[in-house]
Amino acid sequence: MPGTLGDMDGMDWMASAMRAAQAQLETATHNLANVASDGYRRVRSTLALTPQGLAARESPDPTQGGIRETGRPLDLALLGPGTFRLSGPQGGVETRNGAFQRDREGYLTDQQGRRVQGRSGPIRLSETAVVGTDGTIRDAGRVVGVLPLPPGTTVRSGALESSSVDAIGETLAVLTAQRAFETAQKTYGAIDSARDKAVNDVGRLK
Amino acid sequence: MNRAMYAAASGMAAQQTNLEVIADNLANADVAGFKQVVATFTDVNAGGSLGLGTATSGKHPIFAQGKLMHSGGPFDIAIDGEGFFRVERSGKHAYTRNGEFTRAADGTLRNADGWALRDVRIPADAVAVHVAADGAVTVDTNAVTGRSIGRIRLATFAAPEQLQPLGGTVFAATPDSGPERRLDAGHTGQPTIAFGMLERSNVSIVESMMQILTAQRAYEANAKGVQAADEMQRIGLKIKIRIIRSYLLCFSELLFAPLARDSTLCALKKRAIRVCVQDSN
Repeated sequence: MPGTLGDMDGMDWMASAMRAAQAQLETATHNLANVASDGYRRVRSTLALTPQGLAARESPDPTQGGIRETGRPLDLALLGPGTFRLSGPQGGVETRNGAFQRDREGYLTDQQGRRVQGRSGPIRLSETAVVGTDGTIRDAGRVVGVLPLPPGTTVRSGALESSSVDAIGETLAVLTAQRAFETAQKTYGAIDSARDKAVNDVGRLK
Repeated sequence: MNRAMYAAASGMAAQQTNLEVIADNLANADVAGFKQVVATFTDVNAGGSLGLGTATSGKHPIFAQGKLMHSGGPFDIAIDGEGFFRVERSGKHAYTRNGEFTRAADGTLRNADGWALRDVRIPADAVAVHVAADGAVTVDTNAVTGRSIGRIRLATFAAPEQLQPLGGTVFAATPDSGPERRLDAGHTGQPTIAFGMLERSNVSIVESMMQILTAQRAYEANAKGVQAADEMQRIGLKIKIRIIRSYLLCFSELLFAPLARDSTLCALKKRAIRVCVQDSN
């Protein structure tokens, strides 16, 4: 592998550009696949210059997804940063998908049965419990749990945060990655054929 | 390259499921007591940020109240509030909010699928039936008016979303939903039973049509992703084949032409081999 930019020739550059385009395609298709996943935040892919040439860097996009009214009181949407904490069999999980329900023991869980964690452990509530905008869950006036949220974040009950993926934007990203890949491949091919000539035709021993 | 293709394919599968669920809702939009079902999806990650697309995390009914409408059926009842009618068929117990019953030959009130309302049996000599808001059933016969014959009791569950759909509007209890809990209609804060009314499905046709269009577009976008991944894989494969071919060519030339004393040529060939080996890794 070339160690520094100086060691890279055209082919190395184009190979790295193709790898980066491939990574960008992977990010775009992953985003596209999650266009209907509630609470999903799109992953942003940016190109960066590294000692190994071009590379795609993934970072979470903090843009808020749209808020969709559902009318179910246990559907919770977060307005602002922060996540819900769930305890699963494989340890803690963080999610922004607030499609919750009560299990038969009265605990607040997600669709897969993982319990939602409040500031002091799992939250147990009755049918009449109300989730306040500050994340405090009251059951007949008594506080049964507080969602651990960063200051400034509010909770909306009866609504869900839709995926922040914009299908048109991601389709565009798919096409852009495809074209970038093809461009790099064409250039790679041009250098390759030039080199082919240099190696095989120039100074051929007859 | 395959990761992109699998992610896009998982998106297509998810949208397919979504479309099926919405189509099923639409098909049942006119069925009394039908509850809209939603499919939910979640992203799949293989450790860290390695995105692998999406997966269906579940399908569950939305038990929001449907609008009550006058139906005029002599045995039609509807629940205004939470809870289910308790029904049975060949010894099996189930629950429904569809109160479109007809009188069967054995005196039971049955719905279109043959599920009979428990607790109530209409006597053969009854000419009219009345159901009060608290579920008390009275019948008129030619001899007596307002003879009490029982009370319709409702059931509720700790986790109604975990009920298992038995097709249409009928659900069965599961370990996750918890056992049925009795719910007596008519008290303050409790549901009431509306006689001569039916609960319409809570499916909104306009909303479902919109959901279908969105799902369809999302499906197409994911199909585009599969196509792009496929195209790039094809090109990538072509390059790999070309690299291997030129590697073999160079190798054979170096083997069979050791007479190439020109040092530039030799260096170029070595460099070509180095690039080939490195890129095919």
